[in-house]
Amino acid sequence: MTLLSGSLAADFGGTTDAVVALHGVKVHYPVKEGVLQRVTGQVRAVDGVDLSIPRGQTLGLVGESGCGKTTLGRVIAGLVAPTGGDIWVDVDATQHSEIERLRGVATEDRSPEDQASWKSLESNHRLGSMSRDKQSRYRRNCQVVFQDAFSSLNPRQLVRDIVGRPLRVHKEASGEDLDRRVIELLERVGLDSQHLLRFPHQFSGGQRQRISIARALALNPEFVILDEPTSALDVSVQAQILNLLVDLQKDLGLTYLFITHDLGVVQHMSDRIAVMYLGQIAEYGPTADVFNSPLHPYSRILRDSNPTLEDSLDTVKWDLSGTVPNPVNPPQGCRLHPRCPVARAECGWSIDDVLTDAERNTPVVFETISRVERSSDFRATVSFSEPEQAKKFAKRIGSLAAHEALEQPIRLDDKLVEVSFNEVSEAQLQQLKDGRWSSCTRTQNLGALPEL
Amino acid sequence: MARSDDWLLRVDDLSVHFESSKGVAHAVDHVSFDIYPHETLALVGETGCGKSVTARSILRLVPEPPGSYASGSISLRNGDGSVTEILTATERTVRSIRGDRISMIFQDPGKALNPGLTIGRQLAEVFGEHRMSMILGNAGFDPEKPSRTATKIVQQRAGLLERGVYRLTHLRAPKALQKSIDDSVMEALADTGIPNPRKMLGSYPHELSGGMKQRVMIAQALACDPDLLIADEPTTALDVTIQARILDLIHEMQQRRGMAILYITHDLSLVRQFADRVAVMYAGRLAEIGPSAEVLASPQHPYTQGLLAAIPRPATPRGQLAAIPGTVPQLIDPPAQCHFASRCSFAAAACHEVTPQLLTIAEKRDVSCHRFDTASRIGVSPQDMPSAATLGGVASS
Repeated sequence: MTLLSGSLAADFGGTTDAVVALHGVKVHYPVKEGVLQRVTGQVRAVDGVDLSIPRGQTLGLVGESGCGKTTLGRVIAGLVAPTGGDIWVDVDATQHSEIERLRGVATEDRSPEDQASWKSLESNHRLGSMSRDKQSRYRRNCQVVFQDAFSSLNPRQLVRDIVGRPLRVHKEASGEDLDRRVIELLERVGLDSQHLLRFPHQFSGGQRQRISIARALALNPEFVILDEPTSALDVSVQAQILNLLVDLQKDLGLTYLFITHDLGVVQHMSDRIAVMYLGQIAEYGPTADVFNSPLHPYSRILRDSNPTLEDSLDTVKWDLSGTVPNPVNPPQGCRLHPRCPVARAECGWSIDDVLTDAERNTPVVFETISRVERSSDFRATVSFSEPEQAKKFAKRIGSLAAHEALEQPIRLDDKLVEVSFNEVSEAQLQQLKDGRWSSCTRTQNLGALPEL
Repeated sequence: MARSDDWLLRVDDLSVHFESSKGVAHAVDHVSFDIYPHETLALVGETGCGKSVTARSILRLVPEPPGSYASGSISLRNGDGSVTEILTATERTVRSIRGDRISMIFQDPGKALNPGLTIGRQLAEVFGEHRMSMILGNAGFDPEKPSRTATKIVQQRAGLLERGVYRLTHLRAPKALQKSIDDSVMEALADTGIPNPRKMLGSYPHELSGGMKQRVMIAQALACDPDLLIADEPTTALDVTIQARILDLIHEMQQRRGMAILYITHDLSLVRQFADRVAVMYAGRLAEIGPSAEVLASPQHPYTQGLLAAIPRPATPRGQLAAIPGTVPQLIDPPAQCHFASRCSFAAAACHEVTPQLLTIAEKRDVSCHRFDTASRIGVSPQDMPSAATLGGVASS
């Protein structure tokens, strides 16, 4: 299997123009401990995401709660500053290939022309380095509809003030003109002038979400981030809101980033989807392809666990074991492997995996561990207080998928167990077919999703 | 409607009203259904349709006032064939039923568990309330003549001082008692697939993940082997991957213990996999009730049809979801008519004048829609009737 090189950020989804392109975006939050509040670790909410959002299309972002999809949405909206990586705004394919080329060259090796070109790209397109003027234009151009329409509308403001506020802040309208513009916006989302002087509590959930959408559309944006816009609504109301969103996209030529955990909705709404797991993108591709023939075990599991009204394509349902690992210390190699039903030797087993397994499945053995001496993430000597338990621990590893990944057989020496695994580098998102990206190491080697 | 006689729980003509400053809200309006032993009945409907109030009425958990049971009865059949009327029984009888014969899992496990108590103590309350003699017996006490302090400790009502004095004045009894309680709790926890239940005993709810909290709730609800489990949207607050496992767990527990389940949800796709029968509620009334496979395959009430069409499917063209027009009507002093008439494409004059009754249209299938009724029976002229429908030929609008 030959792999096509490059990063997902270069995949413009068949268009030549991206609203936003992300390069290795990271958001790490420090974990502070003790009286001195020393930083003891980083919560890797978003950990190296490459992504492009093609103009005029809908990109769906799916994943479990806590996988970083909302944080990624907030980074793109400019509400959270990334701790690493670049966000490029309004780039076309030629500019993008220039960015890719220049990123590959170290700063001191760049020729004067390269430096000038990098500088001009940065000041025109990079979020954070752009001029104030451009930054403010991007903020007008990119709007967000939040998940909970109950807490994202100020309960003490009238609809006129809520929807009219963006117009006032950007000095677009005032006085009677403002009222006229607000009524136009309300009519656009299926409300009318009689709702102008009401408070949010006088509306139902669906109507509030309409107000949120009207507010997002006030400044004629090109790009709207929809953060779970229908998860708090009933199906019949959800259908009304989804239809409204599709109509608005057709009429106004909007680009959507649709963040959700509901696979039925994302399948209906998006052209392409990105599946996120533990702060990274696991799979990316056209929606129908990802649903019909997933290339990452996680997408397959998500699809199988989603209840549908129609019979599923495959009779064998894949299931996830265990719980979401701690994002402070994510698993080595492929991040899914401790929970993956098809994990094998190459997936990146490490000391933490066998210890977590012992804690969860053989608590008696885990409690007798007296110390763990690590020489690296993959090599350690585990000491037990009783030789009996050390034997059980070694036996348990032998029964796991992890034992295939052992560099050398487990050395059992009375109370000591020496474990060493093959070192595996972090799984990378790679293009397997045209427009299909997956980060599963086994799929990359086999060229297709492994059999159960 | 046709009803057979081997029911476990019978809800008959139940109406629950709430007083408010604007008038009387008819949250549940003349609802009747039966739950049979070992079956799963799904109660489906949108927010505010009265499904949770119906479920809470079964345990008499609706606060009075502002709520009041305006009409009807709820009967629970006991093991010896006698029947307990829940709505008129004494508070003591109802308490002995709650958690023992009928128990409930709530929607948000984060809110339903007490954040100030360890998991061990919360679950111990169930055993203290309903399994006193078993706990005392296991600890080596005579269940017939327990000491007062021992009972209070089992019921989790003994204060720190009382426990301390008891520990000092008795030899091994306090330890045996605590061990007996812990063993019962751990058994209940282990039954729901919780790894390491001993560690769980001392944990507080905030230390657990959402799925784990819901498992604790299930362990608590099933601790006393209830005959009926009421599950009020047990997976709404959880991820799909965890939802599948929790539903499997509830299903497996049902297979093992043979209880009946009243499963409340707004998600019709879960009904298909999980329920034997489904009852669809709209604005406080039952719209349709029948075997879930049949109802989902050929819905007869226009509301059920609308609800099913509104779910996004792979084949639906984008932006053409069949949304039900309009909004849910007010429940305050509703007029005597079909509540769905204002949103229904079949509606005719009769629908705005007469309240429809549940009619049996086929074996085990009841629908409350005038399209299955006759003009003479409801007393209107034939031209006021909506176009008649028959089962099988689902008329399209």
